[in-house]
Amino acid sequence: MTKYHRIILQLGTYLPPSIGFLDTNGNSKSHNDVCQSFRELTNDQRRICSRSQKILTAISQGARIGLEECQHQFKNSRWNCTAPPNTPSLYGNVMSIKSRETAYIHAINSAALAWSITRACSRGELDDCACDSNIRKKPRKWQWGGCSEDINYGVGFSRRFTDAQESNSSAAGLMNLHNNEAGRRALRARMQRVCKCHGMSGSCSLRVCWRRLPPMRVVSEALGSLYDGASHVKLVQRDGRPAKLRRRDPDHKKLIKSDLVYLEDSPDYCEVNTELGILGTRGRICNRTSHGIDGCRLLCCGRGYQTRIRQVEEKCNCQFVWCCRVKCQMCSHTREEHLCN
Amino acid sequence: MPGTILENLSTRKLSILVTCLLICQALCFLIGGLIAPLPANHQNILGMVCKDIPGSQNDTSVWLYTRGKGKCNAVSQEEIEQHDVKMANQIVFVFQMPIPREGHVLDYSRWQQNLIGVLQVDIAYDNDVLVDSHAVVTIDARLAYRNKEDSDYDWKLYATSLERRYLDCQSIHVSNTERLYSCETIPLFELGSLHHDFYLLNIRLPVDTDMKMNLDVGHIHDLQLTAIYQNGGFTKVWLSLKTIFFPIVVAIMIWFWHRVHLLQRSPALIEYMLIYLGLALTFLNMPLEYLTLAFDMPFMLLLSDIRQGVFYATLLSFWLVFAGEHMLIQETGKRSAVKNYWKHLSAVVVGCISLFAFDVCERGVQLRNPFYSIWTSRVGTNLALTFIVLAGISAGVYFLFLCYMIWKVFRNISLKQSSLPSMSAARRIHYEGIIYRFKFLMLATLICAALTVIGFIMGQIAEGHWKWDENIEVQLTSAFLTGVYGMWNIYIFALIILYAPSHKQWPTELNSSNERIASEEIEFNNLPSDSNPSEISSLTSFSRKAAFD
Repeated sequence: MTKYHRIILQLGTYLPPSIGFLDTNGNSKSHNDVCQSFRELTNDQRRICSRSQKILTAISQGARIGLEECQHQFKNSRWNCTAPPNTPSLYGNVMSIKSRETAYIHAINSAALAWSITRACSRGELDDCACDSNIRKKPRKWQWGGCSEDINYGVGFSRRFTDAQESNSSAAGLMNLHNNEAGRRALRARMQRVCKCHGMSGSCSLRVCWRRLPPMRVVSEALGSLYDGASHVKLVQRDGRPAKLRRRDPDHKKLIKSDLVYLEDSPDYCEVNTELGILGTRGRICNRTSHGIDGCRLLCCGRGYQTRIRQVEEKCNCQFVWCCRVKCQMCSHTREEHLCN
Repeated sequence: MPGTILENLSTRKLSILVTCLLICQALCFLIGGLIAPLPANHQNILGMVCKDIPGSQNDTSVWLYTRGKGKCNAVSQEEIEQHDVKMANQIVFVFQMPIPREGHVLDYSRWQQNLIGVLQVDIAYDNDVLVDSHAVVTIDARLAYRNKEDSDYDWKLYATSLERRYLDCQSIHVSNTERLYSCETIPLFELGSLHHDFYLLNIRLPVDTDMKMNLDVGHIHDLQLTAIYQNGGFTKVWLSLKTIFFPIVVAIMIWFWHRVHLLQRSPALIEYMLIYLGLALTFLNMPLEYLTLAFDMPFMLLLSDIRQGVFYATLLSFWLVFAGEHMLIQETGKRSAVKNYWKHLSAVVVGCISLFAFDVCERGVQLRNPFYSIWTSRVGTNLALTFIVLAGISAGVYFLFLCYMIWKVFRNISLKQSSLPSMSAARRIHYEGIIYRFKFLMLATLICAALTVIGFIMGQIAEGHWKWDENIEVQLTSAFLTGVYGMWNIYIFALIILYAPSHKQWPTELNSSNERIASEEIEFNNLPSDSNPSEISSLTSFSRKAAFD
């Protein structure tokens, strides 16, 4: 369980900017108070956080997207990235076990934070997105050479913010740092290069290229396959040298920076475990015809399932008129669902 | 017997000149690489979604903006997702350019010259809507501008248009519940001048069942605009180069023309061609961009295309005429004129006219509607392709023809070379010198052309490599651009100098040391066609002599 995720949970009480932040008693708080109230933050982080409310919004947005993507990615697995209600953490106590799931959560959150900050920069919402290109520190550099891409700022921000609280000497700290970086790399590697020709008569004698942020869904899918192939590692400490993570089984492929790593095996997610905050698979919807992990046999851990039929009402056959009317009909249909015992 | 300076220049002087020019060339390259930034940069702007003000679909005085006093309230993604019909016809995508950085409000500078807008569409994951790869999206786009001294709400209409664009989308990921689309970028607008400080783009996506507008494009949940502008620093470096080259080329042209007019004969075709080439280069070099700092000149994009086009056309024509004038089998007695080359030049003319027509159809129309693009309609695409294919064919024909002519020149030269040993020593040295220098210039042309091509390719590759730390000290793209620009200036400068008529008398040691040369000169002078033999380039005399032989 990391401090970052506890903060995110507290940010969960965040409401639209016009209302502001509410504390537990429903009184509104300034964003600065919110930042100061996070005892776990390092001074650096608190400074970043207090700079503006917009940053806080972007951070919480990133956390929300990370959670949504995790839940989407694992919606068919025994562990579905959901914590029991009223737990003091966004993901539950499962994060106290240094398992594959913890690795995924770290990776998706660090990627989602970079993603969300980058988007906030592109919206023009954040005032302090950088304009540097490291070299050519000239006055009026915007006029001279323009600004660097927002993704650099987003990834740098994610690195400063999420890595700040991890120690680089403990096994758990190293694992989290590794997975945070793997998440950001997954995001960067999926950026798509787009070019536009603007030379003579629109020819390609001059070209400008930029990178396009991928949908978060693509990143979470990629991290999902990294989760499947995550490496089991151990801490190796030789005197005089900094501690490092090494693969446990020398027969497995060599560890690279974009891999996810874990230290401990996953717990059993079939049954309820209040101590670890595991919900179990009771009541989960399963797929009767599938033989995979989302199939009723595997998902329900052999306990069987029951079927329920629901009536669903939806708007359909909408007619649009520009501008600005929409007429829709209501359609209802039945839906069959299978629930684990 | 006087000829051009090239023939009479000693090898030492020639090598000094060439070295000086090479140093200038290296300087041009280094200026681009070390001082200039990248030629163009961009800002990715994610559209903020605001609720439309009812009744604004026909009212272009309504502007929604996201920063400053009176800004609109953004609608969150969740609100839209929860809405039954995703707030169709109720939302506006707002792009306010440029976006602020490091706590500063940025504004466009006139040094940034032009602005190109490219749109990126993100379609929501939904299995119900299959986005056709040829789906058409209808965009109601409105562009406004504001200056620094104006108040925050004082947006003035720049252009408005209802545009149709092809949405070229591919599904990149399909699972049983959803699919992801990756769509091609959509060119949205091109502004030939960046005269104002701030620009504002409001985009509406009208959905209408009867008019079949935007029904099959899925739920567009994000629009991202990439605003591309020329870097101010690049414009400054480029304009400085122009400011330096312009007077130099004008001066050398005046000197050249003066020298030609000192002669008693009327200028030869090659001299006319050289002066045309100088004029075309001067037209290209003219630092007209200074005017854009004071005046709104949206036609600059079109004008710079025309300037480049005129220059390239003249250069290509010059090469043809140059090769033709050194054919060595020239018919005697006929004064050569440009009209003798009409067959040769027709490829250049056809290519240029079709490119010009294309440019007028695209950038010319953009003067009236910056959102216009010839590629968005079927007829327009076919028309544009016709022009481009025509230009391509002309380029191919031209290239083949030029190669053929150069091959012919070299064949004639080698034929005459075989008869060189039978000539007197002095005459042989003289002819060998001419041939050597002619080949020298051909080689220079070839090297320049090859360097341009290599520069172009390297520029593309250099930019193709992404460096994460961005610690590259040399901006290769800019270096190649300034290098190539400087190279053609220097090339033409050298041509004008070396092909200017020389006032030097025939090398005296040849005259005095060998008496046989006199008789041969008499032979030269008595060529039937030589009306004024003493002032015609000896290269041409040589060719005529050869023909006479």
